[in-house]
Amino acid sequence: MTECAIRLLNLTKRFDGEQEPAVSALSLDVPRGRTVALIGPSGCGKTTTLRMINRLVEPTSGRIEIDGEDASARPVAELRRSIGYVIQEVGLFPHQTVSQNIATVPRMLRWDRGRIDERVAELADLLGLETEQLGRYPDELSGGQQQRVGVARALAADPPVLLMDEPFGAVDPIVRTRLQDELLALQERLRKTIVIVTHDIDEAVKVADNVALLNIGGKLEQYAAPDDLLHSPANAFVEQFLGEDREMKRLALKRVGDLPFERGPVLDLGAAPAEARALLGDARSEWLGLTQDERFAGWVPRERVDTAATLDALPRELPAAQVHPGSTLREAMEVIMNSRTSVAVIDDGGRFGGVVTLEQIRSELARRAS
Amino acid sequence: MIPLPFAQAAVPRGIGLAEWLVDVDTWLGRDGILSSGLDTVTLCAAVMGTGMLIAVPSAALLAHSRRGELTATALVTLGRAVPTFAVAALLVPVALRRGWGFEPWPIFIALLLLALPPLYLNTYTAIRHVEGGVVDAARAMGIGERTLLLRVELALALSVIFTGIRVAAVQVVATEPIRAFLGGDGLGRYVRDGLGQNNDTLIIGGALLIAALAATTSVAVSVVERLVVPHGVRRLKQRTAARRGSVG
Ligand SMILES: Nc1ncnc2c1ncn2[C@@H]1O[C@H](COP(=O)(O)OP(=O)(O)OP(=O)(O)O)[C@@H](O)[C@H]1O
Ligand SMILES: [Mg+2]
Repeated sequence: MTECAIRLLNLTKRFDGEQEPAVSALSLDVPRGRTVALIGPSGCGKTTTLRMINRLVEPTSGRIEIDGEDASARPVAELRRSIGYVIQEVGLFPHQTVSQNIATVPRMLRWDRGRIDERVAELADLLGLETEQLGRYPDELSGGQQQRVGVARALAADPPVLLMDEPFGAVDPIVRTRLQDELLALQERLRKTIVIVTHDIDEAVKVADNVALLNIGGKLEQYAAPDDLLHSPANAFVEQFLGEDREMKRLALKRVGDLPFERGPVLDLGAAPAEARALLGDARSEWLGLTQDERFAGWVPRERVDTAATLDALPRELPAAQVHPGSTLREAMEVIMNSRTSVAVIDDGGRFGGVVTLEQIRSELARRAS
Repeated sequence: MIPLPFAQAAVPRGIGLAEWLVDVDTWLGRDGILSSGLDTVTLCAAVMGTGMLIAVPSAALLAHSRRGELTATALVTLGRAVPTFAVAALLVPVALRRGWGFEPWPIFIALLLLALPPLYLNTYTAIRHVEGGVVDAARAMGIGERTLLLRVELALALSVIFTGIRVAAVQVVATEPIRAFLGGDGLGRYVRDGLGQNNDTLIIGGALLIAALAATTSVAVSVVERLVVPHGVRRLKQRTAARRGSVG
């Protein structure tokens, strides 16, 4: 399964006239169909590494294998056409329309007209570009739209590998978040092998399956899954780079839906009050949650339950602090902090989907992801 | 002293400008405006053709490979300083000694030197100013160097190259009449003859003809530009102009 699509072996690049190498003895395996983020301080050789993969920069020594084959043995044009590259400056052809831009590589590959049009339409759909925008020129689009066109162009001939150099660097934070989400959704469907360069650790841990943290001189400090990286930084440099709120960052990676199901102090309206009293005692909870037809119906304070004859007559307090299975644990924590009951109710498409407590979040953090 | 081989345009003294310009004989015949104008246009076209063949490809290749910065700087200085008349005059004895005849080599070379700097510089700078990201992206997609130069760099430089062509062509057309003072004919003959005969009609008429041809040249280059430059490139130029305009 974890077969590697790109393997960097002892890769070193020393530019002419430079004292120190830009990249030194870098070895890295990029598994097929996964996203790897290259991150590190400015000038640490991220772009250089990316450019060596499609041979825009030739390595001084070391080797790059793509699908087990030495990249330097392949004709350079053919190699590049099999690798989509989104550069930081986007670099759309300003004198060509959006659809001409997207069709660049298919045209070089001499696809017939019908196939090209079909592919352009498909990519526009995939990246959320309006048909009406296809006839426009790049300078008539917003920064975020230009980025999408850049990605569409890189994907045009359906290359198995996608290289992205700070693809969301030039857009505002809101658009940036949306583009990151779109990349995740895209990757869910396409399963490309992606190497993405970024400055932003939050972006790296969000979009990547593995994060490679480089130091100046292209020295690999740590290569790990985001959760491992945040949980156990290999050294002081990594720790410093990750920042103070590593655990909060980890929370942003995990989803409510990944937690083991926890029903919490919640019962159906029809249950016997005695059962409720027993449950509250066990759970040491000050509040009882009630459901009706599998929907969460509200909270009742413990003292009411203690004197109640039936549960369904009790006045209930809404709204409950709610989260969804797709919410991050970080969001769940915020909801809990703002809730009087100290419990977030999971709303699973209208149905009651259990609860999230601080205790669950704490034990999830303690559990090191594999 | 070298004997001057040309015939003087014989115009009776005292005839008015309008009268001269509407006279059929002024236009037709061996010494007529049409024939002289054709001489001028032919020479200018030859100069421009040669100039473009030399300047555009060499500037494009050097700019593409990011070399030739010094040539470009040198040409800026030189371009402003070439004394066309002096160059042509100095070349006359050389041409005669080599047996090339009086005409039109000296003026051809002098005009070529006048045309080269704007052609070369505009091509060079326009290509150098194509955004690095665009070129990078093209290479990253596996576009070959030749296609990159032709389809991307030259295409994007086209408007600025045409500006260079227009500047060079107008300069060449406006300067070509000095040929009449170097043993040749062409449109400059009327001014020359007018001076020789102290005939104001000829001087003013000749000057007007030269000005008219220069203006026509400018328009003609623009027409060709419209026909040759693709829409996508042309609109970029308009946008730049609009942006400049709005800033002030
Ligand atoms: N063509 C080149 N010639 C000489 N030195 C270069 C060249 N390209 C990059 N370098 C140097 O190599 C080092 C790494 O550059 P690189 O662009 O890979 O860094 P980076 O990690 O992408 O930085 P940033 O985050 O700022 O984009 C830098 O010191 C840079 O100055
Ligand atoms: Mg970079």
